[in-house]
Amino acid sequence: MSNVNTTFLSTALHQPIEKGSSLWHDAWLRLRKNRLAVFGLVALGIIALACFIGPFLSPYGYEDQNLELGAAAPDAKHWLGTDTLGRDLLVRLLYGGRVSIAVGLSATFVALTIGVVYGAVAGFFGGKRDAFMMRTVDIMYSLPFPIFVILLMVFFGRNIILLFVAIGAVEWLTMARIVRGQVMAIKKMEFIEAARSLGFGRRRIIFRHILPNILGPIIVYTTLTIPAVMLLEAFLSFLGLGVQPPMSSWGVLIKDGAEKMEEFWWLLVFPGTVFSLTLFSLNFLGDGLRDALDVRSSKD
Amino acid sequence: MVLLFGCSKSDQAAAAKVAGAKQGTLPPNSLLIGNGTEPQDIDPQIVTGVPEHRILMALFEGLVTENPKDLSPEPGVAEKWEISPDGLVYTFHFRADLKWSDGTPLTAQTFIRSYQRMLTPSLAAEYSYLLHFVKNAKEYNEGKLKDFSQVGFKAPDDRTLIVTLNSPTPFLIKIIASHYSWYPVPIHVIEKFGGMDRKGTAWTRPGNFVSNGPFKLKEWRQQQVLIGERNPNYWDRQTVKLDEIHFLAVENQDTEERMFRTGQLDMTNELPLAKTDVYRKENPEALRIDPYLGVYFYRLNNTKPPLNDKRVRKALALAIDRESLVKNVVRGGQQPAYGVTYPGTAGYTPEAKLTGTIEDAKRLLAEAGFPNGQGFPKLDLLYNTSQNHRVIAEAIQQMWRRNLNIDIGLRNEEWKVYLDSQDNKAYDIQRAGWIADYVDPHVFLEIWGSDNLNNDTGFANPRYDELLKQALRAKNDTERYGIYQQMDALLVDELPVIPIYFYTRVAAMSPKVKGFYPTLLDNHPFKYVSVTR
Repeated sequence: MSNVNTTFLSTALHQPIEKGSSLWHDAWLRLRKNRLAVFGLVALGIIALACFIGPFLSPYGYEDQNLELGAAAPDAKHWLGTDTLGRDLLVRLLYGGRVSIAVGLSATFVALTIGVVYGAVAGFFGGKRDAFMMRTVDIMYSLPFPIFVILLMVFFGRNIILLFVAIGAVEWLTMARIVRGQVMAIKKMEFIEAARSLGFGRRRIIFRHILPNILGPIIVYTTLTIPAVMLLEAFLSFLGLGVQPPMSSWGVLIKDGAEKMEEFWWLLVFPGTVFSLTLFSLNFLGDGLRDALDVRSSKD
Repeated sequence: MVLLFGCSKSDQAAAAKVAGAKQGTLPPNSLLIGNGTEPQDIDPQIVTGVPEHRILMALFEGLVTENPKDLSPEPGVAEKWEISPDGLVYTFHFRADLKWSDGTPLTAQTFIRSYQRMLTPSLAAEYSYLLHFVKNAKEYNEGKLKDFSQVGFKAPDDRTLIVTLNSPTPFLIKIIASHYSWYPVPIHVIEKFGGMDRKGTAWTRPGNFVSNGPFKLKEWRQQQVLIGERNPNYWDRQTVKLDEIHFLAVENQDTEERMFRTGQLDMTNELPLAKTDVYRKENPEALRIDPYLGVYFYRLNNTKPPLNDKRVRKALALAIDRESLVKNVVRGGQQPAYGVTYPGTAGYTPEAKLTGTIEDAKRLLAEAGFPNGQGFPKLDLLYNTSQNHRVIAEAIQQMWRRNLNIDIGLRNEEWKVYLDSQDNKAYDIQRAGWIADYVDPHVFLEIWGSDNLNNDTGFANPRYDELLKQALRAKNDTERYGIYQQMDALLVDELPVIPIYFYTRVAAMSPKVKGFYPTLLDNHPFKYVSVTR
C-alpha cells in the first residue's frame, strides 16, 4: 500500500510545476478574446483621451461666444457647428465630457464602495442586523431625490463636490440590494462552509471568498450606473446644482439640443452620438468583464 | 433607451400636465393660455407678477375697466364717474344689483374695506403705493394714522364711492382701469379664512375663492392649470363669450411651443428665442410681436459691496453690448435700453442716456479698485428658471468676462423662490422686468423711490424722493415731464439697475382667437375675447 502511494507522489513531483495564474491575468486573457469588449475599451480610451487633450488643441474656449454667428451648421471652422450663442460645439462637447466622465466615474465609485460593503455585510450576517440595514435602505429609497438634493443644498450650499456626494449617496442603494441578494445565495455554498471550517475570519470570508464570486453582477450594474449618473447630473444641473453655465456637460448639451433639434439638428446629433457611443462601449466592456471574471464558468 | 428616457423628461412632465388639462370635458368655447409659471397667489392685494395679473383680469373687475383696443377707461363696476374741476375728488356711481360670484352683494362699502385691507400696515402689500395718491392713505399705510375714516374714501350710500386725492393725479383713472391693486376683494370670505391682515390664507383656494369679474375660479391644480368659468353673477354676462379660460403653468418655452403646435394651447406666453425666426418664415399668421410697455433690466443689490459703488455699477452697465444682444440673441424687434423709462410713454421720452465705451467701463472698474477685474468678488446673477433668461444671462456673463475680466456665476430659482429672494434682497444681481401697470412715465420712475416696496435694490436717494414728490404736485404734464427728465438723468447717473432692453411681446397665438388686440400693457379684457374651433 505504502509503495503505491510513494510512486504516485514521485510522479507528481517530477512533472513541471504549472505556472501560477491569477484571477486577473486569466480575466485579461479572456477579455482580449472578446472583440466587442476590446472595441468598447478602445472607444472609451479614445473618448476619454480626446476630452482631456482635445480642448488644448482647439482655438476656441468653451465659453467663447460669437453672437454675430449664432447657431451655425458644421463647417471647416467649426467642425460640429456652433450653438445659439455662437460657441463651438466640439470644444463644449469635449469640456462637457470631462465633467460627465469625472462625475460618472467618481459618483459610481462612491456608490460601488458603499453599496458593495453595505450589501455584503447585510447579506452575510442576515437576521436582525440584515433586517435593520435593509429597512434603512428602504427608507432612503423612499426619500424623493430632488428633495434630498435641495436639503443638501440648503445645508452645504452649491458645490460641485456635493454633486458627486448626492449622486453617489443615492446610487449605492440599488447596488447594496443586488450585492445582498447575491451574498445570501453564495454564503450557503459548500466552499464557504469549508472556509468557515478552516477557521477563517468573517472579513476574510466576505472579501476573499464571497465577493470574487459576485463580481459579475457588480460589474454589470456598475457599467449601467455610469450612464445613469451622467443623466442624473444633467437633471441636477437643471435644478441649479452642479454644473452651471457657461460650463457644459453631456447631459446639459443633450437637454439643450433636444429643445432646439428642429432648428439646429447638430446640437442634438453630435452630443447624442458621443454619449450613446460611450454608453454602448461601457455596456460592451461590462459584458466582456463579466464573462472574463466569472470564476465559476472556467478554470477547467 | 436610457438616452431617450433622459431626453424626454420635460416632455413627460408636459404631457402629464396636458393629460391633466384634458380631464373632464372641455367646453367648445374654452381658451387655453400658456401662462408661463405657477401663480404666486391669486389675491389681488398680494401678487406682483405678470402671470398673476393675467389671471386676475379674468376673475375680477375694478371700478373702471379698459377698452380692449386702446385701454382707455370704460365703465366697470361704476357705470359712470365724475372728476371735480380741481382734479382732487373722484365720484364713482355703481351699477344696481352688483354681486360677488357667491351672490353676496357688492357695495361701495366693500370697496372701502378692500382698500383698508390693502393699506393695513401689517399686510405689507407691495402695491399699496398705487393707493398712496389718496388723501392720508400713505399715512395710514405707514402706521402713522390709526383711524381709517380719515383716509380719503367715503361711501355716502351703497352705490356711491367718493375718493379724495392729495394732489391732482392725471393718470389715476388709468391706474384704476388697468391695475389690480384697485380691485375689490371679497372681505366676507377673507375674514372667514384667517382675517384681513394675513397673506396666503385659504381664501384663494378653489371652493373658497369668490370674485366679481367675468369669470370665477373653477379649478386650480398646482403646477398644472388654473381654470376660470363663466360667472353667472357678473353684470355684463351677455358680453362674455368664453365658457372657460385655462391658464396653464408651463415654464419651459420649448414645451409650450410644442403644445401650441399640437393644439394644446391657443396662445403661448413666450416663444423660445430661436423660434422667432422660424415662425417669421413658416407660420407668420401665428406669430404675434406686439409692443409691450416694459423694460428688461438687471437689478443690482445696491447695499452689497462692491455694488454699492456707483462706478462698479456703471462699469457693469457699460460693458454690455445691447445692440448685439437684441439683434443676435433676443431677436424679437426689441429696442436696446439706455435708460429705465420706455421712450414715448404717454408722449414722454427721456433725454438722458447711458453713454460710454468699454474703455470707460474698464477705467471705472479700475478706479473702484479692481484694475482689470483683479480682486473682484465672485457675484451671482439670479434669474427665474427659464431657457430664454438663461441664454441672455450667458451672453451677458460672457460680455462681462471678456470686457471686464470678471467672473459672474449664474443661479436660477423657481418663480416663487425667486420672488422671495428679490424681496429679501438675497441676491447680488437679479434679472428683472418691469411691465408698466398703466400708461404713464410715472410707472417706470415711482418704483425707485426709497420707500417703494417694488424697489428691492436698496437704492435710496433723497434728491430722487424729493423729485418724485414734486412730480405729483406738478400743475400740468409739461412741468411734470420736466421733473421726470431730471429723475431719469439721476437714474442713468446712479444706475441702481442696469437697463438692457425694452420689451416687445413675442408669442404664438392661434388665428382662431378673436378680440385679442395688441395693447401696450398686454392687457386684454377677457370678456371680449372669443375663440372659434
